[in-house]
Parts: sequence; C-alpha cells; structure tokens
Amino acid sequence: MTEAIQNVANPQIEVKDLNLWYGDKQALKNVSIQIPKNSVTAFIGPSGCGKSTFIRCLNRMNDLIKSCRIEGEVSIEGKDIYGPGVDVVDLRKQVGMVFQKPNPFPMSIYDNIAYGPRIHGVNKKDLEGVVEHALRSAALWDEISDRIRSPAFSLSGGQQQRLCIARTMAVKPEIILFDEPCSALDPISTAKIEELIMNLKKDYTIVIVTHNMQQAARISDHTAFFLMGELIEFGKTRQIFENPGEKSTEDYITGRFG
Amino acid sequence: MFSRNYREKTIESVLFAVSALTVVILFLICLFLFRDGLTLFEDVPFLSFVTGKFWYPTSVNAQFGLLPLFLGSLIVTAGAILFSVPLGIASAVFISELASPKVADFLKPFVEILAGVPSVVYGFFGLVVLVPFIRETFNLPTGQTALTGSIMLGVMALPTIISISEDAISSVPGSLKQGSLALGATRWQTIYKVTVPAALSGISAAVMLGMGRAIGETMTVMMVTGNTAIIPSFPGGILDPVRTMTATIALEMGEVPQGSDHFHALFAVGSVLFIVTFLINLLADAIKKKYRFKVD
Repeated sequence: MTEAIQNVANPQIEVKDLNLWYGDKQALKNVSIQIPKNSVTAFIGPSGCGKSTFIRCLNRMNDLIKSCRIEGEVSIEGKDIYGPGVDVVDLRKQVGMVFQKPNPFPMSIYDNIAYGPRIHGVNKKDLEGVVEHALRSAALWDEISDRIRSPAFSLSGGQQQRLCIARTMAVKPEIILFDEPCSALDPISTAKIEELIMNLKKDYTIVIVTHNMQQAARISDHTAFFLMGELIEFGKTRQIFENPGEKSTEDYITGRFG
Repeated sequence: MFSRNYREKTIESVLFAVSALTVVILFLICLFLFRDGLTLFEDVPFLSFVTGKFWYPTSVNAQFGLLPLFLGSLIVTAGAILFSVPLGIASAVFISELASPKVADFLKPFVEILAGVPSVVYGFFGLVVLVPFIRETFNLPTGQTALTGSIMLGVMALPTIISISEDAISSVPGSLKQGSLALGATRWQTIYKVTVPAALSGISAAVMLGMGRAIGETMTVMMVTGNTAIIPSFPGGILDPVRTMTATIALEMGEVPQGSDHFHALFAVGSVLFIVTFLINLLADAIKKKYRFKVD
C-alpha cells in the first residue's frame, strides 16, 4: 500500500481494519482508509470486489442485510458509527446516499424533495424554500420549476437521478455517498451528474463507487482500488492513474482485466 | 409432419373450448337470471321494486321493495369492510415488512386456512359465540344483528384482504425502501409514507375483492343477522336484525311457487346482486391494471 493512506490531511471518515462477512463469505478484508473532507473520493475495482459493500458500511445500509457481520472501526468526525448509542437515523441524516438506479418515490417532484425535511421536522413554511434550494443545488430547478407538482416518474432518467441527489441534499448531510450513480444513464445525463458532483464538493464530502475508470479519473481527487475484498491501493487520483504502485492496479486501469 | 401439426391444432382447440366454456357459463347465468328477473316488471313497476320500502312477498297485497334488502346488504358489508380493512392491512404490513421470514412463513398458512373454512362453520361459530356475546354486551333482546354479521363477514374477508395486500406490499421495489431509509427515515416512517402508499392500488383492489366476498356471502349472514326485512336505521340500525339480499334468496327460494311474482322477484334480487358484485370485480381489476407498479 502507498503511504498516501497515512497522510491524508483533514480526514472526515476514518476506517480501521474493517472486516465484513455475508454469512460465511468474507466480503471485506482488513480495509483501512482515511477519506478527506470536501473532496471527491472514488472507489474503483471489478464487479464483486467489495467497493459497493464498503460504501454501504459508511451509512450502515448493510444493517438491512441479516446475514451481514462487521468487525473493525468506522469513525466519522472522530465518532465510531458502529459504537453503542449511535442513532442510525441521525447517521443517515449526516451521511446521504444516492443509488445505482434512480429511485424516486411514487409522488410529486415536490413531495420527493420534501420527504426528508418533513420526516425530520422542518417547518411547513420553510419547506418551499428548502425544496427550491435543493433543486437549484442539483441544477434541476431551471428545467422543472414549472411542473414541480407533477409526478416524479414523468422526469427522464437523468433528471430522476438529479432529483434523487436533490432529495439527499434537502436533508443537509455532510457526506454524500454515490453508489454507481451513472450506470443506468446515457452519456449526456452522465456528464451533467459528473459536473454536479464536482460542484458539490465545495459543500460536501463525496464518496463515489464507479465502474467507469474514466469517470473516476475525471471527477475524483483521490482514488481507491479494491480487489477481492481488499483495498489494494489508495492515493491521489493522478498518481493512481499515472503511476500506480501496485501491479494489479496497473493491470486493472490499463484494462487487462475487470 | 401433417399428423404432428394436426395434433397441435387439436390440443389448441380443446384448450380453447375449455377456456371459452367459462365465458359461456357466465353468459348463460346472466341470461337466465335476467330473463326471469325482468319478467317481474310485467306485473310490478320497475320503480316500485327499486325504491320500494317494504318486502312483503307473501301477503295478500304482496310488495316487492328492494330497499330493505339492499340496505341490509349494504350495512352488513360496510361494517365488515370497516372492521376488516384496518386489520387486514395491518396484518399484511406485519407479514411482509416486519415479521422475520420464519414468523411470516408460520403465519401465512393460517391466513390461507382461514379462507378455507366453510361458511356454515363460520355461521355456527357466530351463532354459538358471537351472538350471545353481542346480546349481553349491548344488552339487546337478540344478538342476531347487523353488527354480528359485519364482524363475521369481516373475519371471512380478512384472508382475501391480507393475501392480496401482502402481495402488493411485497412487490414494492426494495430500492424505494432503501431510498427512504437512506434519508434517515425510520422503518415505520418508511412503511407508512412510502411502502404502503406505493402499494395502495393493490391494497384497494384487495379491499374491493374482500367487499365482493362479503356482499355475496350467504350462509353465515343468514345464521347470525336475524333476517328481518326492515330498512335499517342509521347508525343505530347496526344493532338491529337485518336481512341481506343473499339471505332472502336462500331463505325463500325453496318455498316459492315457480313462475309466481315472488319467484321472479327473487331472480330480480339475484340480478341486482350479480350486477353489484360484477361491478366491484370490474373496478378491482381496473384499479389493479391502471396502477400496476411501474418501477422495475
């Protein structure tokens, strides 16, 4: 492993010796990483390498899987998120997530965005402002401001995904996790989302899982390469792509497997 | 080659004939029901049947008023739905969302067994257990009331409502639930604000079908509702005896002279029942088709 792991400035997420099993099958092996604040960190690696599993440890989405068992330490802002007395609801408010396929709720665009703020008790009179702000932040406002009450399913796939990003932002998280957010989208929609993600790092810490190495190279500041449940290499994106320290990293990014 | 083709064709036509048979049977039922039902209106004006307030089929001045029977069916069915919908949806939510797979697998067969109990057994249970209970609880002269019928029919509609709602709730894509949980919603908020609303079309269809079952049920209601053909008052009438359309047909058909006005009146009542259940099923189907979940 490269020394970059030890030398990240201003880490917001710190993971130490994380091991994860689905039943008997170990999916993550001794993963340690420090993810810096207000930057974009990309996880790359072939299918089944554990990158999606890993990202789901950061907002405890793996809790939903009964057979899943976790050992190790994950801290966000110095607080162990698997520690006793941690409220998963608060954690997920702090760490938002955007999924592989757009998953808007079967309600209006407005209600989709207002869903999170409503359950977290935002005032009725502030709600409209929150919704507009979230839609503007997701660069969606100008396209849809005139039909905010129409069903979310009436939007295109790319718009739906940006709606899901806006929905996540409306809860005011500090960290946003993206689990292959563009894999179901066309190139133009993908470009829009990439641009959006790069703009978002001013205000959020972004972690993105991607299949697409060019995407990682384009938008991320740091890149982590996973293989068979292990974190093989982590460092500045430029260094990983131009001068990888490990043979397997080089093989993967040059397309020799994956 | 020829013979193989021939065989394929034969099998196809036999299967077609069998499935066409259901349509033919339905058509024949309609035909006979309506033919005899409509004959009533040669002697009794249509309006006095539909808006008639009295059902005195055997008196000298026979009156064939549908209203007491129709309203009797309505009050019993409405009560059954009020009783079984919250219970049914709650059970469906529990089985599909909250129970561990083990518990769910344990519960499901019981729901199915509930559907398989013969209606006369329900009636017997109602007569022996529920009727005395209602009589004593509300201090009534008789426990055979609309309420008793409603509760029994509610129980009988439960399996339909539970199993169809459960199907609808389980078919809500997991991605929606995850989306909600990832926003910091609790499990209950997710169920209440995302999962159940997303399954609402299936749940409405379940309610309609449960209602169809309740409206058409005969034996149980006949045994526990007292069978008094009086227009039920509202809302106190829920504690009075009532007579439903189904019970009327079952009670009177055996003693009625063939071809009499009374005979035709029972067919007319049957036609009304047929139309109502047909419409309910049609509506349930339309709801299911229209809102079938589009994601995934």
